[in-house]
Amino acid sequence: MALVRLSQIHFNFQTAAQPLFEDLNLTIAPGECHLIHGYTGCGKSTLLKLLLGILERPWEGEREIADGATLGVVMQDPNVQLLRQTLGAEVAFALENLGVASHEMLLQVRSALRRVGLYISLDTPISSLSLGQRYRLMIAAQLVLEPDLLLLDEPWAQLDDQGVQELAAVLTQLRQQGVALLIVEHHQGVFKDLVTHRWQLSQGQLQALSAQEVDTSPEQVCWRESPCWPQGSAVIDSHGFTLAFRERQKLFDAESLLLFPGEIAALVGDNGCGKSTLLKSLAGIQAGIDPLGIKVFGQRPKLGRFGADLALLHQRPSRQLFENTVIEEMQFSLKRYGLPLDRAIALLGQLGLTTLARHSPHTLSYGQQHLIALASLACLRPKLLLLDDPFAGLDAHFTDKIVALLMELSRQGTALVIASHRPIAALPVDRLWRVADGRLETLSASPQAYSRVG
Amino acid sequence: MWARRGVRAPGVRRAKRHFAVNDTRWCALAILLALGLSSCAFLLPLSWLHYLGLANLLLLIQGRYLGGRLRGLLVIFTSQLAITSLLYLLLHGLERLPEGIIAVCRILMAMIPGWWLSVACSPQRIGEVLSFCLPHKWAFVLTACFGILPYLGQETREIYQMQVMRGANIRLKSLWRPKHWRELIYCVLYPLLIQLLKLSKQMATAARLRQFGRHPKPTHWPY
Repeated sequence: MALVRLSQIHFNFQTAAQPLFEDLNLTIAPGECHLIHGYTGCGKSTLLKLLLGILERPWEGEREIADGATLGVVMQDPNVQLLRQTLGAEVAFALENLGVASHEMLLQVRSALRRVGLYISLDTPISSLSLGQRYRLMIAAQLVLEPDLLLLDEPWAQLDDQGVQELAAVLTQLRQQGVALLIVEHHQGVFKDLVTHRWQLSQGQLQALSAQEVDTSPEQVCWRESPCWPQGSAVIDSHGFTLAFRERQKLFDAESLLLFPGEIAALVGDNGCGKSTLLKSLAGIQAGIDPLGIKVFGQRPKLGRFGADLALLHQRPSRQLFENTVIEEMQFSLKRYGLPLDRAIALLGQLGLTTLARHSPHTLSYGQQHLIALASLACLRPKLLLLDDPFAGLDAHFTDKIVALLMELSRQGTALVIASHRPIAALPVDRLWRVADGRLETLSASPQAYSRVG
Repeated sequence: MWARRGVRAPGVRRAKRHFAVNDTRWCALAILLALGLSSCAFLLPLSWLHYLGLANLLLLIQGRYLGGRLRGLLVIFTSQLAITSLLYLLLHGLERLPEGIIAVCRILMAMIPGWWLSVACSPQRIGEVLSFCLPHKWAFVLTACFGILPYLGQETREIYQMQVMRGANIRLKSLWRPKHWRELIYCVLYPLLIQLLKLSKQMATAARLRQFGRHPKPTHWPY
């Protein structure tokens, strides 16, 4: 018996040339686990909204839900779904809305938290949980509704490897209890022991994928074949430091940190290990820490000190977009720093985005916004570019474009530091800065890379 | 991998902050106290302001003890003081400057009780009290607003830093010139507004998917 059935779904956005879904069909039965792959912007999240019945635009076709069946969902970023400040109150939110008596809530909340393996005090502030724990908390908040089908939007991109393992264990248990699962995800090799049905969302339809067609190779470090020979003075130089917030436990110790012009360093570590904090410290914008003794261009980093020589791409870089057109957005910094404006046009051409020049950046897809935000920094040709998780949520197409752009910048002499949960196989690097067990370990492709020059 | 019963889970940082008021009646009293003190900041004559200042000082000490941060209040106070003093000097001259300083102090004393309330009372308890006198949906929206204030502060800071690094003329020394104020509105407040609209929509969807608005008389988590 089917829990959910979508038949002959047709849907398109008003501005799109082609329909997003065209004769799309999907049937999910209890205990099944469906994994849907697809490129950025192909409609994976829209499909989840359609299943949940919260798609605001009109669509054609049939959506059948079994009598009494309940659907739960964990969005791409669980943080935007968290509505309360403490663990117990968050899980109890749905029970409050169902009018469950206060004295009956405790048992149900504890049971849901046990099912996701969170044995933590109920008054624990959510702000103190790791992202992996928040993800499991969000699942617990759905479990109090006893869902028959749980929908998960791209968990792999948000979570580190331990978070993914913990989530896989929870999902396996839920499946055994008869809960059906639907996961949308870019990465094909994930949850392979859990999945019963695998789909590729392409050209508006779901096409079945066999296990053999799936790329399950783990992400590994890719060293640059002809490593960049250290030239000139170090862009980043430190003889060792401890990264810690004042009055709080330290994040990690580092013995030495060096980066030369044109080099690419991958900063890799689990959620919450201090990657973003280190990047912000290098840019001189991290509050609440003591000076680290790291020199950038031979000076202590400070906001605005290095002008166009230092750029930082934050997480969710679409936040920086505000101009009316893409070309104005890209020329904003060029104007402020008195640099040639034609760099923006040339870079748009290089990225194959010239047709978007007069579009509003706010109407672009997630991947395009990401690329424009990066391009608006890249056209400054900074001497040091720091990137915080620049590949999150992007498919192979956009990843390749960003990798090509970064390699071009490296050839022009820009030193790059790229933070991510795990190594990016598509991006060849000269140095690997790995944070684990409270230490920052530095590795490089060539032994010469450690010498201090200049 | 999992936290065991009674043992702190790995990766869970010890939370310094805790809410002192988690009882509905005490929370209602705290709301009344905050409302009363905030109103007094504007209604009391000048000769009584010292007493109000003393009461606010006590709230500041207790709020700080409970883990509240004073930095935000300090930034608002100093920036308001600087702008108001400048305007009074330009418009009325030096002799009326004390009036401007008193006006800024009154605004600060109107804000401190609200800050203390957000530090001392758990938001869900404030929501429960508000739902006695307001429709449940309004009470939820007000509580959610309290909840996203720290997030809002963080987003503002990050967007500001992004734009400064992109060359925007919005650093403190640039903002002395009014011609740069437009840039602050355009490249910080405008993106922030877009983020807030997105967040409020996402939060509304998240609440709706967890049955918000379904029961005519919702209950409350008692702990």
